[in-house]
Amino acid sequence: MNPTAEQIQKINHFSKVPKNMCAKIASVVEIQDCKPKDSLLTEGDTGDTMVLVFQGQVEVSKNMMVKTASGIATSRKPIIRLETTDPPPGSDPITEPTVFVVEAPAFGIGEFSLVLDDAIRTAHVHATTPVKYGILTLDDFSNIVKDNPEIGGSVYFEVAKSAVQNLATASADISNLTQAFFFALTR
Amino acid sequence: MTDDLTPDRIQDPDVSSSELDDVIHANKDLYDKLNQLPEIEALQAIDEEEEKKTEEKEKPYPFADAFSKLAAIYTENELVRYAAWALLLILISTSALTMIEYDMFKASVTDHVGDTFFFGGDEANWLDTFFHTFWWSIVTFTTVGYGDVSPVTHIGKFLTIIIMLLNFGVVTLLGGAVASVLVAQRLTGDETLDETKYNGHLVIAGWNSYVPSILKLIDANRDSTDIIILVNEMDQDIIQRAIAGFERLDITHIPENFTQEPVLQKAFLDKAGTFMILPDSSGLLPHEEPDEDKTVLTCLTAKSISEACNVIAHVLNPENISHLQRANANEIVIPDEHVPHLLAKHVTDPGVPQFFDDLILKEEKDKGLQEVKIPRSLNGQSHNKISAFYKFKYNWLLVGYAIRKAGFSLDEQMGESGSPLIRNMIKEQLEGAGVNLTSDEHVIVEINPPDDYTIDDKHSALVLR
Repeated sequence: MNPTAEQIQKINHFSKVPKNMCAKIASVVEIQDCKPKDSLLTEGDTGDTMVLVFQGQVEVSKNMMVKTASGIATSRKPIIRLETTDPPPGSDPITEPTVFVVEAPAFGIGEFSLVLDDAIRTAHVHATTPVKYGILTLDDFSNIVKDNPEIGGSVYFEVAKSAVQNLATASADISNLTQAFFFALTR
Repeated sequence: MTDDLTPDRIQDPDVSSSELDDVIHANKDLYDKLNQLPEIEALQAIDEEEEKKTEEKEKPYPFADAFSKLAAIYTENELVRYAAWALLLILISTSALTMIEYDMFKASVTDHVGDTFFFGGDEANWLDTFFHTFWWSIVTFTTVGYGDVSPVTHIGKFLTIIIMLLNFGVVTLLGGAVASVLVAQRLTGDETLDETKYNGHLVIAGWNSYVPSILKLIDANRDSTDIIILVNEMDQDIIQRAIAGFERLDITHIPENFTQEPVLQKAFLDKAGTFMILPDSSGLLPHEEPDEDKTVLTCLTAKSISEACNVIAHVLNPENISHLQRANANEIVIPDEHVPHLLAKHVTDPGVPQFFDDLILKEEKDKGLQEVKIPRSLNGQSHNKISAFYKFKYNWLLVGYAIRKAGFSLDEQMGESGSPLIRNMIKEQLEGAGVNLTSDEHVIVEINPPDDYTIDDKHSALVLR
């Protein structure tokens, strides 16, 4: 089953795309279901698809090398949870969130795949409730943009905005890590 | 501006008297203006009010004071409490038996005393009878039981039964209290310190020839703390001789090894204002050097008890400085570091070393270089105004400021920047590795700053009195 144009427009990246264009995007997306704990994206994989989440809650996490009681080990650390509000998830999450939960009517993940055909997934994403989602491939999206260039501007602007935000956060992270490094050395 | 003031120019004698007058008048005007500030008037009013309150507080209420002291002793000391109960019971039984068995005790007095002294002169009166009953009470209470006198009436015997049963409990408790005090003394080696007294006090770990001089200087400065705990293994008699004669200081000695955590906790280090660690000569022969590893170890132990504790460490060997810095000591004192400077100054600037000698070694009560709090209402004022304030109000020379620099906090520094994941990981990993996320507050000095230098509440004045 395909999503409606309204469902597509609820996603931040497509909010400024006219409804008739959203209908074109909706026509190439198939709604699928997944169970809690199912993985939607795997860190380190390359991919040319963007995942559009229409209903449910997902957790974004990253693998980290940390020092534990048993020595240095890789541990998956949750970063954030994303939850739809329109409609809200069908059931409560299987585990209580330990990180901040960001709410949005609907959301897209892996948006860099709309720009790069071999974008590396920077984090894991798995479902924490039953999730209804769709897959938008780079090929399908490129074809729509080729026929309707006016869509590109607003979508690529949103992608660029999130890239810039990520860059600013990464820069602050480097600054924090550098400070912590020197702080630890001088103690 | 100050770069032009080379010593040669300062020494230029060609300063007209009118110029000097101008400067002095300018300062006087400044002082007058300062005095007109409503904040200063308010401050003076507060000072006067506080003085009045202190005077009122100092007015003696001997009975109330004595009563509250007795009440405090009664509630705090188990031994005194049971002894008081025993005495009360003795007095009650004496009074009751004197009344009930008056004739019997009076007759008994006459029999026992015979021709010797009577309070009543020729024959026994009520005082002789009371004293004789008191004798019976003590003999009964101590379970000696001579049996030379005893109640004869039923009511007297009945009362005696009750008193003896009560006495059984009180004497048992009293005996237990005496035993527990003796056992506690043997276990601790000294009396337990009264915890309520210790807050913001000074703890000095280690003993050497400097300690009496340190105590003398602290004794002379009335603004500093008067509660001091010495922790060292020096002979008690030597310590007692050294600390005798300080009129203001309340000094307690803990004769134990200060590197051990329980010993430092006994000195209430978590509540101490300052912890001073000195090279420890206790138990050493005259030619033996103090073990400075103890200083580093003690600093580590102290910081593990209370990170906020202000630790001042005195080291003889400069190699230990880096160890103490890693152990997070707030201030490190190295006595010999000034020697080359002083020796060179004898050649380059004769008079300067003598000035230091006078300033430091001949410091008198309320004279010399001292740190004083700046009135809060002067916060935000410039250095020249603060300088005028001290000069004209107290005739003190303001030479600079001690500034409390807040410790660096990695947590505060990171704030909300970057991703929470990275921030939390940094905190978890550093804490896991035993690295504290904050460094301590420390003091820096600013000497003779420019006139427009502005002070804030972190500044206190260094004045020459």
